[in-house]
Amino acid sequence: MKFKDYWWKILGVLLIAYSFVAGLLTPLAPGIVKVDPVRSRSGGTVQMSVVGYNSHYNQAAVDAWLKLDQNRSISASEIAVQDARHLTATFALPTSFPGTDTINVLSLVLYNEIDGHSILPGAIFITGNDGGGNDSLWSDDIIQVDEASGFHFPFRNILLETIRNTFFHVQLWMAMMFIFTVSLIHSIAFLRKRNPLSDHKAAAYASAGLLLGLLGICTGAIWAKNSWGAYWSFDVKQNMAAIAMLIYAAYFILRSSIADRDVARRFSAVYNIFAFLMLVPLLYIIPRMTASLHPGSGGNPAFGSEDLDNTMRMVFYPAIIGWILFSSWIANVYWRYLQLQENLESQL
Amino acid sequence: MNQKSALLCILFMTLSSPWLRAADTGEDFFQAIGKMYVVVAVILLIFIGLAWYLFTLDRKISRLEKKQKYE
Repeated sequence: MKFKDYWWKILGVLLIAYSFVAGLLTPLAPGIVKVDPVRSRSGGTVQMSVVGYNSHYNQAAVDAWLKLDQNRSISASEIAVQDARHLTATFALPTSFPGTDTINVLSLVLYNEIDGHSILPGAIFITGNDGGGNDSLWSDDIIQVDEASGFHFPFRNILLETIRNTFFHVQLWMAMMFIFTVSLIHSIAFLRKRNPLSDHKAAAYASAGLLLGLLGICTGAIWAKNSWGAYWSFDVKQNMAAIAMLIYAAYFILRSSIADRDVARRFSAVYNIFAFLMLVPLLYIIPRMTASLHPGSGGNPAFGSEDLDNTMRMVFYPAIIGWILFSSWIANVYWRYLQLQENLESQL
Repeated sequence: MNQKSALLCILFMTLSSPWLRAADTGEDFFQAIGKMYVVVAVILLIFIGLAWYLFTLDRKISRLEKKQKYE
């Protein structure tokens, strides 16, 4: 076997191995895990104990603010650091907030030179409001947002370390789309030229795509148990993905259910086109229209700048390419086996 | 083959338990990173094992194809 025949198989393995190593060993950016208390009254003082993550509170001076909006934040009057991940910040709360809401919510912003900014949105609820927003405690001197230096993945509350599943769950779906597209192309080629090789390739790529989809559903269920509380939430994208996989499973049932080999091939090629066309509304259109636990729903663009940043992209894109190549290898072995099987049968 | 996969299962479970314990104590990344290397090693082992299996399968098929070509 010449190198040019199998270089892409090795590349696929290497890219996936890279995604495992870089995806698991890169630290998260410093962040804030929780604060206590989460409610207080206006006009009083609150002593907030803060738990950080990957933080270095004891290695550089920490500034803390409770932020209402762009122009209004309250600087901490005192900060007591217990260790790298724990500190207590004391804030004097103002008596009046802009607007007339009785309850206002403030975000906690921490900054030190090593960690950069950490933000906990919706950190504390303040009841009581004299109205007007004119209190000398408000200031706009908060330092503008600045990232910590170094290579790290974004810190997201709730997700925490599971954000790494972007490289182990999401990439499966991206690779699956590519693989099913290849399968579709071979099905169309079969319908045009009636070459059995195209039919074998279509079936092989469909089976590799189905494998990716099933792995995606299982890995998604594991992630969902951790993040959403249940393996299956009947979330619209979960449901649609399951339906899409059932449609492709039916492709194989169709193939084996027809006795006449040529008719079976033609029918399954046509069915493959239908199955692929169903992927678009099932996975891309319906989930975006309705409310869903997945990112990208209720009219929002799916999986965008809020879910990925450039450090994650450096692992995410190679992971997708790696899985495309690796599942192409799986398909490759399968269609070569189908070809051998056909040759053997025709010789008998 | 059954004995080999049983051994692999036991190895995986014992090696991954330190990392599971770390989550309970609320250690952050830098404290858990030493154990993360164990997780990476386990996952790489599983994956390289699968890739190796695919490679041997590929080789078997190549040999069959070569045999068929000369018939």
